[in-house]
Amino acid sequence: MLNAFHQFGFKGAVAAVIAAIGVVFSSTVLAQGAAQAAASGAGSAGSAEIVGSAQAGAKKNSACIGCHGIPEYKTAFPVTYRVPKIAGQSEKYLESALKAYRSGDRPHPSMKGIATTLTDQDIADLAAFYAGKN
Amino acid sequence: MTSNRFYLQVVATIALALSASVASAANIAAGKEKASTICAGCHGADGVTSVDPSYPKLAGQYPDYLARALTEYKSGSRKNPIMGGMAAALTKEDIANISAYYASLPSPLTVKKR
Repeated sequence: MLNAFHQFGFKGAVAAVIAAIGVVFSSTVLAQGAAQAAASGAGSAGSAEIVGSAQAGAKKNSACIGCHGIPEYKTAFPVTYRVPKIAGQSEKYLESALKAYRSGDRPHPSMKGIATTLTDQDIADLAAFYAGKN
Repeated sequence: MTSNRFYLQVVATIALALSASVASAANIAAGKEKASTICAGCHGADGVTSVDPSYPKLAGQYPDYLARALTEYKSGSRKNPIMGGMAAALTKEDIANISAYYASLPSPLTVKKR
């Protein structure tokens, strides 16, 4: 530090102190991040910390009811069949189905369009709601 | 003789039409038999109590949706390593029969209107 003062004057010393604080701070943040990652990795399956809320899901289903809220409703595109009954379905299955539409592992165009607007939390909430979780 | 041949043709046509319609109508009993050997191990004999919570309940689902899902798994347009393998072994007739069978079972599934 004294060397820095001699070489770069007062401004240089201040800059060195700020840089030193920056290094300490960022390493603390990194350590925290690593600890958090380790903690979430210890959970069962990566996204284990996301818990679906049926109450939250009830406020997010406006895009669902236009088809899944009508008994015997049929899709007109790409082929005609009745859209599945989803109320009372298994929560984990609903979650994996929505994620498969979102990733493109399931081909339905309008389901893909809707699922791509959903976050993991939205999907968990909707799954909880339709599974009838309290 | 000509009238005999005419009647024979009429009878044959009716028989053909009848057998075709029987073949295309889903056979729940045949579906049950197939399902008990192929599907029940994971989806449960009742189509409700599956061995893993990530497997869907099939009982009472619309048969046309079930058939669509199986057809997509078979073609590979719906990607799932387990169901892809299962559906690959099914004929079109198997798919219709199995779908009709599961649709006929008592269901926990409903339509939530809002």
